[in-house]
Amino acid sequence: MNGAGFIRMTPIRRDIAIGLFFLAIAIAIPFIDSSRSTMTQVILLFIWASIVTQWNLVFGVAGIFSLAQMAVFTMGGYTAAMLSLYMGWSLWLTSFLGAFMAVLVSGIIGAATIRLRGAYVALLTIGFAVVMQVLILTDSDCFFYRGVTCYNFTGGSSGLSQFGDFGFRDWLGYKQSLVGKYYLALFLLVLGTIFALVIMRGPFGYAFRALRDNANCASSQGINRVKYQILVFALSGFFTGLSGAFYAGHYKTIGPTMLDLSVLLLLLSMMVVGGLGRAWGPLLGCIILMFIDDQLKVYAEWRTVGTGAITILFIIVFRQGVAGLIEQLWERLLALRGARTAGASATNDKATG
Amino acid sequence: MEAFLQILFSGLTLGAMYALSAVGLTLLWGVVGMLNMSQGVMLAIGGYASYSAITYLGLPWPLGLPAAIIGGFITGLVFYHVMVRWMYRAPAFEVNIIIATVGAAIVLESLMIRVFTGYPLDQPFSLPGGFRIGGIQLPFQTLINLSVAGIMTLGLGWLLRSTRLGRAIRATAQRRDAAQLLGVPVARVYLQVMIMAGIIAAISGVMLTASVANLSPYAGTNPMLKAFFICAIAGLGNIPAAVGASLILAFIEGSIQYSVSARFGFPTMLGLAIVVLIWRPYGLFGQRTVERS
Repeated sequence: MNGAGFIRMTPIRRDIAIGLFFLAIAIAIPFIDSSRSTMTQVILLFIWASIVTQWNLVFGVAGIFSLAQMAVFTMGGYTAAMLSLYMGWSLWLTSFLGAFMAVLVSGIIGAATIRLRGAYVALLTIGFAVVMQVLILTDSDCFFYRGVTCYNFTGGSSGLSQFGDFGFRDWLGYKQSLVGKYYLALFLLVLGTIFALVIMRGPFGYAFRALRDNANCASSQGINRVKYQILVFALSGFFTGLSGAFYAGHYKTIGPTMLDLSVLLLLLSMMVVGGLGRAWGPLLGCIILMFIDDQLKVYAEWRTVGTGAITILFIIVFRQGVAGLIEQLWERLLALRGARTAGASATNDKATG
Repeated sequence: MEAFLQILFSGLTLGAMYALSAVGLTLLWGVVGMLNMSQGVMLAIGGYASYSAITYLGLPWPLGLPAAIIGGFITGLVFYHVMVRWMYRAPAFEVNIIIATVGAAIVLESLMIRVFTGYPLDQPFSLPGGFRIGGIQLPFQTLINLSVAGIMTLGLGWLLRSTRLGRAIRATAQRRDAAQLLGVPVARVYLQVMIMAGIIAAISGVMLTASVANLSPYAGTNPMLKAFFICAIAGLGNIPAAVGASLILAFIEGSIQYSVSARFGFPTMLGLAIVVLIWRPYGLFGQRTVERS
């Protein structure tokens, strides 16, 4: 396929092409380098990307500045971990229950913020996350005993552990278990990305964007704001909660540190650097920030400074993010080629912005 | 009676702390439309400026406050020139500035940990001791903090109401474009408000670290979060209402902590905020404003 053909593709075909490109690389990585450090690093990348992709639906596409995404993630992880720990159920089952819990909680947050705009939404949602963290951290009542040691219901500040995992070690052996988890994480990310793309490019996406760009105008066209706001929160909750459960199963532990402001900032900068509301922004942002973070590893204490500075730089100078910059380049290319027929499809592509 | 006094005094102490954090916050939020997520570190900067001046430079302790004011002035200046200046004209300022200030908060917090370590320190600018009433101690510092919050509220109220600068600030807050057309130097107003907010935060930070919280890079985080909700409940830009709401909410928090459990103080407050915001999205004393497009 030549360049001009690629440019002229419909957004959906282009999404498929880009997606297959990323997928091919992701599938190939374990064959090239299956060292422990690479695997864990890329698995973490997949987890972050899964969250940011769903967050992008709420924040980027629907334009609702919710900061509760990590709370939803933690809710999914804790639900799965606690059900496995207390009921003895398999983590495969409880992961789905965790995801449904996340959908429920996310929907409730969406409903609670319906009458609020902009900064107030940020405030309420960050408050939700803080309260959740405070309640977990201050949990000191004994819920059960293992030997003489007292354990709290939520695991308190040390978090939950010993609730089992996905059992890859028994199937694949110690050496290959990480590769198994790698492909599971990839599978989750692929499903989540397809889910997000279908929503973005489908009728829901148009409704969300219409409400974001002009709520009054959209409402007068018969788009029900209440319904769509709760819907976008609930939809984005599913894969976020599932990622939370995967995180718990992968690390065999989950704790209140996931609700730290620094984690939220890392994900926020991934979204901002990648490009808010753009289909491939979250993935690009995750790759870029994980790469930078990896480079700064030697200077451990400067990592957070780096993340913060990059976020500020992008929000001030490149608000469209890397995905937006690439899109601009695309259009420049298009103009250079002077392809008159390409004009129509280019305006369609802009719908993502 | 003893329990009542206990709740009353701890409520006053907490309330003074919240009020101090809320004044600068509601000024920025109400006037510039900027939810400042860096308020917490701005408070800490004030505390550290005072600490450094007294401990490292060996200045007498009353000079801790002027040092903090200089620190706050510089912070405000830097915030304006690095962030606000480039952002306030662009669309979605309200959301972008939140992201930017979260970033700034993390950067500054890491830098403070680098310089001062995360270890809690004692604020040398403080007045120990207190009155004993009915067997319960009412710390002097609490009374000082309340007075400082009161003075700042009155001072800002006067400034906004009766000075040329205050008129320019109010005009900018109401409608920036119109103000600019009528000759208000909008950029300078933003700079001045930013510097004012920096100084207020720094003074508050000194008082705060002298009273309840020890001086650490995180000292301001908790008061900031509570101040957010206080401002939201009180309604934006209404400084006296914010101070009043600080005291009321601190009493509610104190009673919950005393009667139920210390765990549920903040969750109760958040629950209240949610109810108030659902019932009156623009706060109890706020007015519905027309959105800037």
